[in-house]
Formats: sequence, C-alpha cells, structure tokens
Amino acid sequence: MQHLRGQVEETIGAIRQSWAGEPTWGIVLGSGLGRLAEEIDTEAEFAYADLPHFPRSTAAGHASRLVCGQLAGVSVVAMQGRFHLYEGWSAEQASFPVRVMHALGARSLLLSNAAGGLNPQYEVGDVMVIEDQINLMFRNPLIGVNDDELGPRFPDMSAPYCPQLIDKALATARANDFLCHRGVYVGMLGPTYETRAEYRMLRAIGGDAAGMSTVPEAIAAAHAGMRVAAFSAITNACSPDMLGETTHEEVVQAADSAAEKLSTIVKALLTAN
Amino acid sequence: MLELYGQIEEAVAAIRTKWDVTPRAGVILGPGLGNLAEQVEVEATIDYGDISHFPVSTATSHAGRLVCGRLQGLPVLAMEGRFHQYEGYPLKQITLPVRVMKAMGAEVMLVSQAVGGMNPQYKPGDVMIIDDHINLMGDNPLVGINDDRLGPRFPDMSAPYDPELVDVGLAIARREDFVAHKGVSVAVTGPNLETRAEYRFLRLIGADVVGMSTVPEVIVAVHCGLRVFGVAVITDMCLPDALEVANVDEIIATANGAAPKLRALMEGILAQEAAK
Repeated sequence: MQHLRGQVEETIGAIRQSWAGEPTWGIVLGSGLGRLAEEIDTEAEFAYADLPHFPRSTAAGHASRLVCGQLAGVSVVAMQGRFHLYEGWSAEQASFPVRVMHALGARSLLLSNAAGGLNPQYEVGDVMVIEDQINLMFRNPLIGVNDDELGPRFPDMSAPYCPQLIDKALATARANDFLCHRGVYVGMLGPTYETRAEYRMLRAIGGDAAGMSTVPEAIAAAHAGMRVAAFSAITNACSPDMLGETTHEEVVQAADSAAEKLSTIVKALLTAN
Repeated sequence: MLELYGQIEEAVAAIRTKWDVTPRAGVILGPGLGNLAEQVEVEATIDYGDISHFPVSTATSHAGRLVCGRLQGLPVLAMEGRFHQYEGYPLKQITLPVRVMKAMGAEVMLVSQAVGGMNPQYKPGDVMIIDDHINLMGDNPLVGINDDRLGPRFPDMSAPYDPELVDVGLAIARREDFVAHKGVSVAVTGPNLETRAEYRFLRLIGADVVGMSTVPEVIVAVHCGLRVFGVAVITDMCLPDALEVANVDEIIATANGAAPKLRALMEGILAQEAAK
C-alpha cells in the first residue's frame, strides 16, 4: 500500500487542474442508480480514462466518469460507474477512488448497489439501508504493508456504516411513506450469480442481501476514517426453493424502480448536516 | 479473459490434427473413473503436453492425456487426469479444457470427483449425484474482462447441474440397484484436508460432501452453455466428532471399488444422449 499515496496525489493533481471544489460527500453510484448523477449541478467531470491510476469500468450499465459539483446544495464528487473485483481489478484498485475522494476533502461516503434479496421479507424494487456487511469476496483492499498516513493497520469494524446516517435514512423513508429495510449485505466475488445452495448458505450465515460490490469501498473508507452510508436496491428475490433465472436486464430494471426512493434518501442525508 | 479465445482455437487445432471428429460429450475423469477410459473405443490419445495451452497434471493417481473415441457409440473427448487449484494453476487455465470441449462441438459435460462425505447418511463407496454446489475456493474462473463470444458476463446459476440429467442418473441407480444420493458439493482450495471445525462449518452451511475440484469446470461449462452431469464418489467419511486420519491408499481403494457404479451412471447418461 506504500505506493497508494503517491498515486492519489497524481490523481488529485489531474482533478485540481479543472476543479477547485471542496466536496463534503463522495458518492458511488451502482447499477441503475447512475441517473442521480444527472441531477448534479456539474462543475467539472472527468472520464476515468483521463485520470491517472483510475481503473476503467467494463461492466454493462455503468458509465465511466467522475462528476464534481453540487447536489441538493452540497458539494459532492460522484462516481458514475464503479469497479468490480469480478472485472479483474484488485480490491485495492476497486477502492482507489474512495482514497481520492477522501484526499479531495470528502469525509462522508455514500455507496449504492444492486443486490439480490436473501431475506424472504424483501421484494424486488425495495431498498435496504446497509447496517453491516459480511466480506465473502476472499479479498481485502488493505492487504500489504500498511501506510499509517492513510489509516490504521487493524481498522475497527464494529460499525462500518454510520448509525446516525442509518437512522436518518429510515426516518426519511417513513416521512416519505415508503418501505426501507435495514439489513446485512454479503459481498461476493461473482461474476456468477449464486447457486441455490449458496443462497441458503448466505441466508444461514446472516445475510439479508448479496451483491458483488461495496465491501471493498466500505473497508477502504473505514480505514480512512470516513462516515459511510450505503444502500442496496433489491433487484431480484433469491428464494432458493423457487429460484427463477436471473438476467442482467431484470436487475437493471428493478434497480430503476428503487432509484427514486434512493434519490429521496440520498438528498435527505446530504442536507442533514 | 480476452486471451482465451485464441488459446482455445490453437488447442482445438492441435487436437484436430490427430482426431478430426465432433464429440457429443466431454468427460472429466476423477479418481476411480480412470478406468472408464478403458471402456472407450479409442481413436486417438493425446498427451496434455502436446496440446497448446494445456497445463500438465501433477496429482498422484491422475494421468495426463486426452482420450478421444467412442463410448456407448457416442463420440467423446475424455480427460484422463485433471488440474487442481491447489497445484497452483489459475482457474482460467484449469478450465481451458472445458472450453475446448465446447469448441470441439460437445453439448454435455460429464464430470466426476472424489469427495469426503459429511452427510451422516452417506457411507464410503457411495456415489452422490451433484444437484448443486457451493464455491468456497475464494476465486472464480470468470474473473476478468468478459469475452461475450464465450458466454455471458453474469451467468445464471439457478441450475448448474441439468435437473433432467440428475433425474436420469437417479433412475439408472434404481435400475442397477445401488444407492445414489442427490446432494450439495462444496469446493475448497485444499490441499490440506479440513479440520474438524471446518467440517462442522461446511456441514452447517448446507453441504453434503466436500472436494477440491469440479466447481471451476462446472462454472465454465455453464458459462459456455454445456449441460452438466456431475457425480461425487464418497471416498471417506468426514464426521467431525468421529474423525479418523485420512489414508490415501484406502481412499484410492474405495474410489476404485465404486468404479462400477460410476461407470453405470456415466455410460447410462451417454447411452441416453446417443439415443437422442
């Protein structure tokens, strides 16, 4: 990890040539939620390819740019399109943008993803505020010699997702009269969807939703000491005893239907303080 | 994964110089199934070393050659000897032969593996038709940029083992009058066997047997659109509260003892495919 700080500085250098903003929030927009970026009053945007050390998105349904500007009157830096381990990126690379957001000044991070619902109470199109996570990706972005300037060797994980932000998200959902679950997200390597036996396992070990992202970013954010709020759009219901086939198109469609609810919550969190 | 397409073409070309037939099925022979190769009406055998991009097998009791010929009248491509993650091969390389089978024209893949039994109803020498799996290898052969010519980015895994073939397998066992279980196989990296605590864990998460192979091949078979039939041979019992030290000679002997059942299942499936 000793090389990270130098890389982050070079990326920041490229961004600072055309944007001098002081973001309070970093935002990572997952499958189907990218259109929130369209609501940003854009001050600058960067194709990932133009940013040194940034990986490039290869996933379907993901744009590939960093959008800087104002959202709900708050200065933000938002990733439209993220990096997944199943694409071949290391966990360190996948979470590199979080380091950049932190270095730009963001101390709060908002993550969103599309996830399969394991909890039988969840329905397609529901949203879940992530209360905790299980890392089953067999990867960790902090492996290597630790850089103490970036964070501690052994980050505490007793509350990787900020309890106050979780409460605020749930209150926002109540105030706007829609359902928002609170649950545990299991991070899987992918790219295969889970088998029935794997879904049963994930439910048995305490997962409410499963997906292929978010965990590396949340770990890097915890390492950097950022406040994190994260949300899953439940895009398919993984009921192992009546499992249908999952297609990527269905996933994207369900994410769209959850996008409006997430947009409401996100704006409430941004303006909360 | 973008390098695979060219590798597959070169491996296929190497095989075609010695055997220019379109196989209907690919067969991967784990321990105990090795002697199924003796039943093949051999038309060609090719050492893995003579096939571009094929790794070379190092495991004990595994040979390393491709047997091409006919079984039950069906043209088959049989791997005698296979590759394991614990040998140090990347999963992409381990599974290259599966993609080669598909590229040669195969429609179905038959695979067998030796496993430890964790379901207390199982006995050494029993066979289990694999209904489903849990991948605990910590890796996936599809990681990397997807090549859409080979398969979809996010393969569905709701039924990796063809349910129809599972039923056919169970019917064959009833007809031939031997016990065949249907269950869940979990794949771990190895090469160490599991601790008692790990066996308890694997049982707790829903697995009936544990092995160190097959899951990567099956994931790639699903990715490239091969139907899959998988059989696990229970070579020893892994009951955490009555665990005995594993004896490799006994395990191999048990696997060989189960060979007739495996042969009946594999030949029965192939005969049904031949009748199609």
